[in-house]
Amino acid sequence: MKPVLVWDAPTRLFHWLFASCVAAAWLSQDTDRWLSVHVFFGYLMLGLIGFRLIWGVVGGHYARFASFRYGPLAGLAYLRQMASGTAARHVGHNPAGSQAVYLLLALGVVTCISGILTMGTEEGQGLAARWVSIGASGVFKETHRLCAWLMLLLVIGHLAGVAIESWLHRENLPRSMVTGAKDAERGTIASHPHIRVGAMLAVAVAAFGAWWFFYAVEEHIEARLGVDDGDKGVPHVAFVGRALPDDPLWREECGACHTPFHPSLLPARSWRQLIDEQDQHFGIDLGLAPPVRQSLLAFMTANAAEQGSTEAAYRINQSLAPDAVPRRITETPYWKEKHARIGDSGWRSPKVGSRTNCVACHQDALAGTFEDAAMVIPR
Amino acid sequence: MRKILVLVLLALSPAAAAAAENPILVSLRATAHQENAAFKDFSAARGQAFYNARSGDVACATCHTASPKAPGKHATTGKEILPLAPSANPERFTDAAQVDKWFKRNCTEVLKRPCTAQEKGDFMTYVLSVQ
Repeated sequence: MKPVLVWDAPTRLFHWLFASCVAAAWLSQDTDRWLSVHVFFGYLMLGLIGFRLIWGVVGGHYARFASFRYGPLAGLAYLRQMASGTAARHVGHNPAGSQAVYLLLALGVVTCISGILTMGTEEGQGLAARWVSIGASGVFKETHRLCAWLMLLLVIGHLAGVAIESWLHRENLPRSMVTGAKDAERGTIASHPHIRVGAMLAVAVAAFGAWWFFYAVEEHIEARLGVDDGDKGVPHVAFVGRALPDDPLWREECGACHTPFHPSLLPARSWRQLIDEQDQHFGIDLGLAPPVRQSLLAFMTANAAEQGSTEAAYRINQSLAPDAVPRRITETPYWKEKHARIGDSGWRSPKVGSRTNCVACHQDALAGTFEDAAMVIPR
Repeated sequence: MRKILVLVLLALSPAAAAAAENPILVSLRATAHQENAAFKDFSAARGQAFYNARSGDVACATCHTASPKAPGKHATTGKEILPLAPSANPERFTDAAQVDKWFKRNCTEVLKRPCTAQEKGDFMTYVLSVQ
């Protein structure tokens, strides 16, 4: 028995980066707070899987799929042998481990793609921005969640398998995944180290990480921590989706006394009623001239909640009874549900002051997009 | 040549005189004369008293603050209001339609009735005089 290089550098690097991605994506799953981080690890994971699929064809001997072409039955049989302590030692992937590799890669692809589709539909962002209507987002989100859980279970199974195997065959498998070497019989095929490919992979990941950091994460973190980097008055909005239709007259007329609430936040019937009742607008006679009324109404009905132009618009509209004509956004069931945890003291805090002060927490309220990632509770 | 110069000066002089007084105020003065035969002229002192006078719970000063030069805050929504006095916000009282709209809306809200031309003129005279 002498040490033989089994895991080439790119395979080891892939393994640990992939594991880090799974862990980090799980830890950042609260996407209201950490969307830019979560999404980074998602894209990175998908890129790594893409690399691994290629490497499984052209990589070092033990990295090639051809070297661990076992079926699920062989995997199950191996698990049984492990249970009875008779499992044979494999220098490369054993049949059960091979199943973990295939399943993790497949689940990783589905998780990443369903995540991208969720973000594209719910937030209107990312690679799949607005491919499908928001109504379909539930399917993607559930798929994403289910696959993430399955991945977690597989990871736990994999860790248990590694522990049992290490004990069964009296060898340190995690260390092999760091050094790449395993003890093997004379004549065992050694893998090519492929250091240069490993270095290229490391550089690519580092470059993507650095680019992403400046693209989305740095200011996101600064906003969370309340760090002022001199951009006062220009709230940074991580992940801004497509800009919504705007109208200077609407912005001026409605924005003079309160936050100009984007038309997408109420259905067209509400806007019609508000304009009809403009002479008693929450106790005030707005005295809007007929052409102004007409012009405002045209803009507001054309961009009302029914259009589903944002997640908030879609969900507000979905939450309303068909005959409900809310006068206030704060009367809509979706709004109430989303703000249920804010107590009176929260609303009264000097940085908020009023339920109409959307901008206090939603950095993008004036744009009407209400992105998850743009929501920062002031401290 | 001299003829042209005289004509230009003649053409400019009324314009120069008008520029000295806010044209919205000029037209309010005409309306005030129509509304009230005994009307003499606007008064900044009356305007200041009007600005601070409470009607029920509210006065102009409730939202616009005690100083027309200071930024104000909408009493209900908390929305920021830019200063009223042109010395702090030169855009104020330059657009007749805007002035008309806000007098109409705010008088109805504070006084529960439209303001008279004299009240508007006094108010404007006061706010324009704040340096």
